[in-house]
Amino acid sequence: MPNSRAQRSSRSLRHARLASLLLAPSLFGLSAFLLLPILVVIWLSLNRWDLLGPMRFVGLANYADVLTDPTFGNSMWRTVIFVVSVIPLQSALGLFMAVLLTRGLPASGLFRVIYVIPWICAPLALGVVWKWILAPYDGALNNLLGVSVEWLSNPALAMPAVAGVTIWSQVGYTTLFFMAGLAGIPDQLVEAAQLDGADGWQVFWQIKVPLLGPTLFFVLVTGVISAFQAFDQIYALTPNGGPQGTTDVIASRIYLEAFQGGFNLGRASVMALVLFVILVVVTVVQQRFFAERITYDLT
Amino acid sequence: MTSPERRPAQVRPAAARPQDEQPEADRARPVRASRDPSRRGTPLADTLTYLVLIGAAALTLAPFVLSFMTAFKSPLQFASEPSLSLPNPLTTENFVRLFSGDYSFVSPIAVTAQVVAVVGVGQLVFSIMAAYAFAKLRFAGRDALFWVYLATLMIPQVVIVIPLYVMMVQTGMRNTFWALVLPFMFGSPYAVFLLREHFRGIPDDLIDAARIDGAGDWRILWQIVAPLSRGIISTLAIITVVSHWNNFMWPLIITTGRDWQVITVATANLQSQYNANWTLVMAATTVAMAPLLVLFAIFQRTIVSSISLTGFK
Repeated sequence: MPNSRAQRSSRSLRHARLASLLLAPSLFGLSAFLLLPILVVIWLSLNRWDLLGPMRFVGLANYADVLTDPTFGNSMWRTVIFVVSVIPLQSALGLFMAVLLTRGLPASGLFRVIYVIPWICAPLALGVVWKWILAPYDGALNNLLGVSVEWLSNPALAMPAVAGVTIWSQVGYTTLFFMAGLAGIPDQLVEAAQLDGADGWQVFWQIKVPLLGPTLFFVLVTGVISAFQAFDQIYALTPNGGPQGTTDVIASRIYLEAFQGGFNLGRASVMALVLFVILVVVTVVQQRFFAERITYDLT
Repeated sequence: MTSPERRPAQVRPAAARPQDEQPEADRARPVRASRDPSRRGTPLADTLTYLVLIGAAALTLAPFVLSFMTAFKSPLQFASEPSLSLPNPLTTENFVRLFSGDYSFVSPIAVTAQVVAVVGVGQLVFSIMAAYAFAKLRFAGRDALFWVYLATLMIPQVVIVIPLYVMMVQTGMRNTFWALVLPFMFGSPYAVFLLREHFRGIPDDLIDAARIDGAGDWRILWQIVAPLSRGIISTLAIITVVSHWNNFMWPLIITTGRDWQVITVATANLQSQYNANWTLVMAATTVAMAPLLVLFAIFQRTIVSSISLTGFK
């Protein structure tokens, strides 16, 4: 090889110089607006501060305060209820619609496009639209049903309403992933099972569903992570935590605590960090749980 | 260096084009495949399927149709007739009110459009630069640094809005245009990740050939690598436009008053101020959703396939 060491090292020098130029802007953005804030939020969580007075270091007092606070407990509970009502239903409906859309019927493509429409729209705007639809006296739903139910201000109905709107806006999106997953299942596998006498039901549950493992994993992980952070549509439908705090999910609590209740930045930072830890744990646990199941190879 | 008129562009088409267009086409085709001859559907099953599909489509579209209809009704008709009644007379008075006088949605639309433009261009340009470095250059610490980029994907917005808010207050940028765009305009780790995957598929020979022809790295990046990645770049552009047109929590927190109000915040404020005035509020939601619905109508195929391709954020 005539390529001398000097030549190679001059190339690597050029690469390093060029790389630092190319990476500079994104590295700045990443450090200043993603990594630094994590350090700042940890620091804020150890202080008591309302943005106006002096900052007072209180150690772990905010943690003790927040973790024993029934309002925060309620928020955690409401968040769990929200996630548990949205994710299974949304995934099951998504899979169901995907199965129907992959039966190969004409116009399936058109339906697929229609179902995605809510996903493209601002959750805030959709929340406002649904706030009107669910309004007690001049809302469209009560108008149609001829009743005057307080969908959003009745503590028993607010959470189901908020979860329902969320599911409505996301099923189409979930459907797309299941369609891609179903399309990836080799026909031979299905045909082999049919030759062995499996009926449609068995093919679905014993061949297709297990093979959808990776898709299911993706849909569940991203779904759970985004459900834990849900804010926009909940803010629009039931501001200030909803009737008797029934829709006071964690994102809404952090917002209210930090920006609407006298700037309790320390307490809000603790809540934000608790949410962060939960999301990391959820990701890791789901990864572990599915690691055993996604060993099926599609080749 | 020897013949500057031999453009690197000449090397482009044959070698890498197919690879560029492949993924989307691949994904879309089997799904959209029409009537499979080996399918054993009974007419009854087909009918039931259509009933469910049509029912679901009606359920999906009903809120849109109802809100558009309401936006074109007079407050008087809204108060006296059922929600399902067609606008009669069809009136644009809600939109006229929305764009004039007190509420003026002109400024929120202009602010949002500027935010989307600056964030969109910044994110794409800076992400492309970073992705090129990770995909095509060899330098010390590359893999570790890329791992840091990936790790930041785990940081949710809700967790960092409080410290970001404090940082903006401390630097005097609260309630400015910069507060709206700075946190997002320097690229997104997700875009870097997707682009890097794509750039890695572009053969090194192509880049070397261009270099022998005298093209510098900067020119190679923008005249060879970027054009070859048009598919993924337009996908990312759409994702950025959609998510920043719809962004709500950060603008809600970091802006006050009218000056830098974006469209989602303006809609939320209008709703809480004029709670009973649903015809006006539905005009606002219509305006907030219309641009993306039009975008969707034009690019629906690209958008739908890019969602399943990328997971859309």
